[in-house]
Amino acid sequence: MRRLPTWLLLGPGTLWLGAFFVVPMLLVLAASFLQRGVYGGVEPGFTLEHYRRFLDPLYVRVLWRTALWAGGATVACLLLGYPVAWVIARSRRYRQLLLLLVVLPFWTSFLVRTFAMIFLLRDTGLVNSLLLRAGLVREPLTLLYTPFAVLLGLVYGFLPFMVLPIYASLEKLDGALLEAAEGLGARPAARFFTVILPLSLPGVIAGSLLVFVPALGSFVTSDLLGGAKQVMIGNLVQNQFTTARNWPFGSAASLVVMALVLVAVGLALRLRDRGAAQGLAP
Amino acid sequence: MPIVEFIQVSKRFGPLRAVDDVSFEIRRGEFFSLLGPSGCGKTTTLRLLAGFEEPEPGGEIRVAGISMHGKPPYERQLGMVFQSYALFPHLSVERNVAYGLERRHLPRAVIAGRVARALELVRLPAAEFAARRPTQLSGGQRQRVALARALVLEPEILLLDEPLGAIDLKLRKAMQLELKQLNRALGITFVYVTHDQDEALSMSDRIAVMDQGRLVQLGTPAEIYERPRTPFVAGFIGESNLLDAGEGRRVAVRPERIELRDPGDPAAGLCGLPGTVDEVIYLGERMRILVLVAGGTRASATLQNEGQLARPLRWSRGDPVLLCWRPEDARTLEDA
Repeated sequence: MRRLPTWLLLGPGTLWLGAFFVVPMLLVLAASFLQRGVYGGVEPGFTLEHYRRFLDPLYVRVLWRTALWAGGATVACLLLGYPVAWVIARSRRYRQLLLLLVVLPFWTSFLVRTFAMIFLLRDTGLVNSLLLRAGLVREPLTLLYTPFAVLLGLVYGFLPFMVLPIYASLEKLDGALLEAAEGLGARPAARFFTVILPLSLPGVIAGSLLVFVPALGSFVTSDLLGGAKQVMIGNLVQNQFTTARNWPFGSAASLVVMALVLVAVGLALRLRDRGAAQGLAP
Repeated sequence: MPIVEFIQVSKRFGPLRAVDDVSFEIRRGEFFSLLGPSGCGKTTTLRLLAGFEEPEPGGEIRVAGISMHGKPPYERQLGMVFQSYALFPHLSVERNVAYGLERRHLPRAVIAGRVARALELVRLPAAEFAARRPTQLSGGQRQRVALARALVLEPEILLLDEPLGAIDLKLRKAMQLELKQLNRALGITFVYVTHDQDEALSMSDRIAVMDQGRLVQLGTPAEIYERPRTPFVAGFIGESNLLDAGEGRRVAVRPERIELRDPGDPAAGLCGLPGTVDEVIYLGERMRILVLVAGGTRASATLQNEGQLARPLRWSRGDPVLLCWRPEDARTLEDA
């Protein structure tokens, strides 16, 4: 087989990313330092005002809420997804079927699935009518338009992104290592913390990033399930570019999200390297 | 009291009888080998002893007189060396060896001392190897780490599952001797699984030969080699000629026990079987002569090579010859 030259392999992707990622990013970066145009758009004149606005308690709260929810969704996905990944990795007969079930939600649009959550959670929804009928509650519980609903939506939406990378690293785990640990006196909990978890750490870190990063920038979930009150920074960005017509502030907000993401990725990479260098503590 | 007792132990995997009604005893301090072809049940037998498999109801395994029923591996206090070594890839050599001691929550200083002694025992200088990762070691060095990791716990019994299978021939010979010496020096009972008959013969105090889940013969290397009880054992351990001894009896005779004579020169007290030389093979220290006997059987005889240039062999291809052996060198076999 003839080998294609490297430039031909890299070229199209590089052009695509250059035109549709790097250039827009630079435009956003520039816009965040410029004056706001009256009917949207930007006007010349350098300013740091849009970044200064983030010190306002209102926006600090939005940032804090966003980080908290994205972090909470990540932790919840980890706790729910790890055991699932373990079962799939250990199962021989049903592995393909289980993997299919994990990715099955992707066959439906994210928007449709989020709307479906509304029908489940609203006062007259499935959950409340079952609870009422069972006599467990007298009044319908307020589930929709709460932080709980947003967290539920985020976890539901991003769970497969946690399961799949953890599954990939658990699947490679040599069963003889677990037997060796067992023979050396390690009880189940010790086997988990000294062998299974350290060796699946790359999967845990990858999965956490794949959940945390999109959760941090998400706006559909908080919009539909949190109501207008529970604003995440993604909603803020969206509002600035649409209704508020403040492009520079929207640009600054999206760059703040990006800074948060970079911090998270940096931390994750350091954790991974440290894990690789010395293993986890016993 | 024997240190290990297997009493009518069986293990089935679906329809397969991996271990089929096996009973034997292992004596304290001996080098005991489980020998057989792949799929004979030897590894399952070892895993039953280690506790990774549970025997079928009715069978019992005892260690030092105590039933192991329901005891998980982490409570059995046995050392185990795996065929793949199973070293923890995320831990240094030192932490690998320390693993079992850490699980017992011993003080750090005690752990460090015992790890250093264990590495010394398997001749891996701690200064050079302690900080390395398993990936930075050769196969032989990994094997030593696996050994140190098991020995550091000072188990009464060390289980070894084809530990030398992945090591090249020359190193394997050296490791065989080292294992034998460790067994003798430490007084630990070794239970050794192998499919390599030379290995089993050269290292073991006693050998259990397994075939299709059953224990077919148990004895010293000399007993197994010189008095095989079944055609399987005779064929699997070394080479054997299955010869017709008349009256429907079949006997097994080792090639080196066969003497070749000219026809019409029968020696007193020897059994004889006429044949024709089919092939003469030069092996260096020995000569192998293949002889076609009546009924189409091909027998093999090995003779000392006395120097083909100075004292060439009397027979060549096509010569008639008489196969002779002493009655005590012929084993009448039970049918398997």
